[in-house]
Amino acid sequence: AASTGGTLTGLLLVTLLVSHMLLTKEGVTSMPICPNGSVNCQLTLEELFDRAVKLATYIHFLSSEIFNEFEERYAQGRGFIAKAVNSCHTASLTTPEDKEQAQQIHHEDLLNLILGVLRSWNDPLVHLASEVQRIKEAPETILWKAVEIEEQNKRLLEGMEKIVGRVQSGEVENEIYTPWDGLPSLQLADEDSRLFAFYNLLHCLRRDSHKIDNYLKVLKCRLIHDNNC
Amino acid sequence: MKQRFISSAQIILQLALTTVGLTGQTYPGKPKIIRCRSLEKETFSCWWKPGSDGGLPNNYTLFYSKDSEEKIYECPDYLTSGPNSCYFDKNHTNPWTTYIITVMARNEIGSNSSDPQHVDITSIVQPDAPVNLSLETNTSANMSYLWAKWSPPPLADASSNLLVYHYELRLKPEEKEEWETVSVGMQTHYEVTSLQAGVKYVVQVRCILDLGEWSEWSSERSIQIPKERLPPEKPTIIKCRSPEKETFTCWWKPASDGGLLTNHTLLYSKEGEEKVYECPDYKTAGPNSCYFDKKHTSFWTIYNITVRATNEMGSNVSDPHYVDVTYIVQPDPPVNITLELKKSIKRKPYLVLTWSPPPLADVRSGWLTLEYELRLKPEEGEEWETIFVGQQTQCKMFSLNPGKRYIVQIHCKPDHHGLWSEWSPEMYIEIPTDFRVKDMVVWIIVGVLSSLICLIMSWIMIMKGYRMMAFILPPVPGPKIKGIDTHLLETGKSEELLSALGCHGFPPTSDCEELLIEYLEVEDSEDQQLMPSHDTPSKNTKIIHKETDSDSGRGSCDSPSLLPVKSREPRGLPSTLQTQDVRAKEKKGGKGSWETQCSASEQKMLPCNSESIKSCTWLAAQLPGNQAAMFAYHSTVEAFRITLNTTNVNPSPVLVGNEENRQSLYPIAETVYDDVEKISEMEYSKTDQTTVQVRQNQQNDKSPFLNPKLMDYVEVHKVRQDEEPTLLLKHKENSGKTKKSTIPGTSKEYTKVSTVVDHHILVLLPDQRTQNTPVSQEPVAETSQNPQDSQAEKSTGYSTTAPSDSRGDTSGSDYMDPSSFMPSFK
Repeated sequence: AASTGGTLTGLLLVTLLVSHMLLTKEGVTSMPICPNGSVNCQLTLEELFDRAVKLATYIHFLSSEIFNEFEERYAQGRGFIAKAVNSCHTASLTTPEDKEQAQQIHHEDLLNLILGVLRSWNDPLVHLASEVQRIKEAPETILWKAVEIEEQNKRLLEGMEKIVGRVQSGEVENEIYTPWDGLPSLQLADEDSRLFAFYNLLHCLRRDSHKIDNYLKVLKCRLIHDNNC
Repeated sequence: MKQRFISSAQIILQLALTTVGLTGQTYPGKPKIIRCRSLEKETFSCWWKPGSDGGLPNNYTLFYSKDSEEKIYECPDYLTSGPNSCYFDKNHTNPWTTYIITVMARNEIGSNSSDPQHVDITSIVQPDAPVNLSLETNTSANMSYLWAKWSPPPLADASSNLLVYHYELRLKPEEKEEWETVSVGMQTHYEVTSLQAGVKYVVQVRCILDLGEWSEWSSERSIQIPKERLPPEKPTIIKCRSPEKETFTCWWKPASDGGLLTNHTLLYSKEGEEKVYECPDYKTAGPNSCYFDKKHTSFWTIYNITVRATNEMGSNVSDPHYVDVTYIVQPDPPVNITLELKKSIKRKPYLVLTWSPPPLADVRSGWLTLEYELRLKPEEGEEWETIFVGQQTQCKMFSLNPGKRYIVQIHCKPDHHGLWSEWSPEMYIEIPTDFRVKDMVVWIIVGVLSSLICLIMSWIMIMKGYRMMAFILPPVPGPKIKGIDTHLLETGKSEELLSALGCHGFPPTSDCEELLIEYLEVEDSEDQQLMPSHDTPSKNTKIIHKETDSDSGRGSCDSPSLLPVKSREPRGLPSTLQTQDVRAKEKKGGKGSWETQCSASEQKMLPCNSESIKSCTWLAAQLPGNQAAMFAYHSTVEAFRITLNTTNVNPSPVLVGNEENRQSLYPIAETVYDDVEKISEMEYSKTDQTTVQVRQNQQNDKSPFLNPKLMDYVEVHKVRQDEEPTLLLKHKENSGKTKKSTIPGTSKEYTKVSTVVDHHILVLLPDQRTQNTPVSQEPVAETSQNPQDSQAEKSTGYSTTAPSDSRGDTSGSDYMDPSSFMPSFK
């Protein structure tokens, strides 16, 4: 009799619990609030990717804007675009050129490529931010964007390193990065050549920032949403 | 002929028209020479038009004469130029002669002649049109020209072929209206240059002999000018577009092909590659386009694209077009757009829009990210409202105008770059009106129910009538104010009522109100007040008087005390001294305050001003007059004491207690009366006696208060502000004695203080026992001695009082009618 009473109470308790859960409708999610300094507390990969994508999108937006502004102001009718072909310093990095390639490449390789591109831009962006000040009558919008891009690029690089560190199974590859030797061209005495150097750099920046943005979006959909964004 | 005509006319008349009418036969109509023409200046022809034939076969004869001769000739040749014509051959044609030609028509009945025609050969020359026009085109050195040949007009007489004609040629493109005319000269061929290639031309020629007229245009000939043979012009690349960021297509517009079959080739090179490729697919995207499939599409690469147009004459290459496919992505419009109306909790309808990305776009892989923008407007609206919705594929629209039909469209673009797609097809949605039927039903029910209830209630009310009324609204008890004459109220004469209430100056002045309060404070003993009698309207005044006295503030307006209050109106009289006061009363007051009083009183009062100041002042003098002067001191100072004591207190003990005061006052009183006397003497000779008597009284009786018989019913008025004591004799208006209270024999003893009003006014009651015995003879004598005056006084005085008083209705009241002092309010 005692045991039946115990089971009855147990049943009652279970029902209460279930009903409570049903009533509250709020299952416990696996989102522990991280205390400061906690070691194991990490952002999820999804969150990391979300942030990276946002940042990359922002950088691409900025570089598109700065390029358009520069083109409108300094490159009208100078035919810079024809000269700008095949002259990006990151061109040596073989990156996927279409959707198929982007989908076929291993995500670790793609991540490393992204890292490489980002690293390759560290140096030129620093110089761009400083040299762009010397452009005659450079509007404020161009100036602050150059600085902003430089900063955001660094942040994105940090984030990407984090993602790579999380995703990478094996050892981190040697740092891929292509050096940039375009500083003298930004300081050329001939205005036309100098403007073209800026134009080209901005053109390449816009392209690479878009690349990174695009690759990150593909990666995110692939790794987080299983190609079903 | 004429005779015949006449005879025929006679016949017609004689035969009563019938014969002629039936047969219709008559002489011929007038023929007309149409034209005369010479083809070649050597021969000529004339043609005529017959008139009516008169119903009979006609013969026509052409006669001519030459200007140089008298002789008349007939036509030499009726046949050559056809019917109704005459041909003059070389022999009969003289270019230097003018011919006069007439044509005569003749039948059985008679004949008729045309008007004569003058013909100069040289002016009637008009050749026939040239013949045998033939055309040819020729092309040499990329120039097309046209070769035209023709023959001069043929002539009947072959010998005249040597004539020289001048020619004109005209031509036009077949489809045009305007001719281009070229003067050719004497040659019978012509070469036309500057023609449009590929156009069909129409050509005609005509000719002229040196004078005369141009011939008709020859029959038309037409010829097609062949197209040019040129190398093509530069084609133009219109645009390149990638619908899904995986493939792309470029279109170009061919320029002039030089009239030859032209081939277009699209060539491209990619950034970083030297090699030039040709378009992989010319067909998929239609004519003049090149489709780059996935294999041939690279991103982050600049394509250098050119289009080359080639024909047998040569080729031409378009300007290069640089394309980075990333930036030419223009998706198709979104699909599967659905519009759904939903209702929120508040039942406000809102619109839910959902859509799908274009089928080509692969957004799931993350390769392409689309952003959407939608726009909507009311169907009749002009401006679109555009809403950028970002990457989501649904949107909720709130705050749409109900009852309107909206048009909704959506388009999309890749994020940050590329171009907006076309707008999706228009979608329509009608927002229902906000009118909620359910609510309305509820309200209607509520309304109907409430009106029903109202109906029932009112029905019950009607049925139950007063019982219900009484239940709900119990009757208000009627006013039970003593002394209010309901009858008067009912009659509704407000004036009367007001006067009855005693407040003539309505609304009451502030003075009145002040007094009102004070009056209430010193309420008198109820015993002495008249009991309200509702029976006789004649007693209204008294009733009111009583009422007002006892409880209503209004009564204070009517109170006797008002008189002195008003009497202070005279400009600030010196207050401290009674003498001054009294004098002032008689002096200034006589002129000022009393005058004012009188004038301010109602119409009924006698205008004292106009009659005599004396009478007015007399009133003033008289009222205090007989005895008041004596009691002047008594009033003011003592009054306080008396007031402090209860009413109805016999003044004597009080007075006794205050002898010192009295004593002190007395001399002053004397002086007062001296003054009074003087003044009276000066101003009013008639009042001498009075004053004298008063004085005598004073002299004879050391203390007038000790001798109660001297006392009349007296009111002591103290004007607060000025502290002027005033003694007023209250005339006892006992039975039968109306106005003339001072009638001899009515002297009474005033032993009781009826009321102390206002701390300043002492109302004394006559001792009933001593009433009958004349207390003082002097006043009586005085009054009797001056009956006229007193009468005048009285009349004046009463006239200033309330009408009720003048009516003499008051009786049995120990109170002086306060309304008698009403004028003083003014």
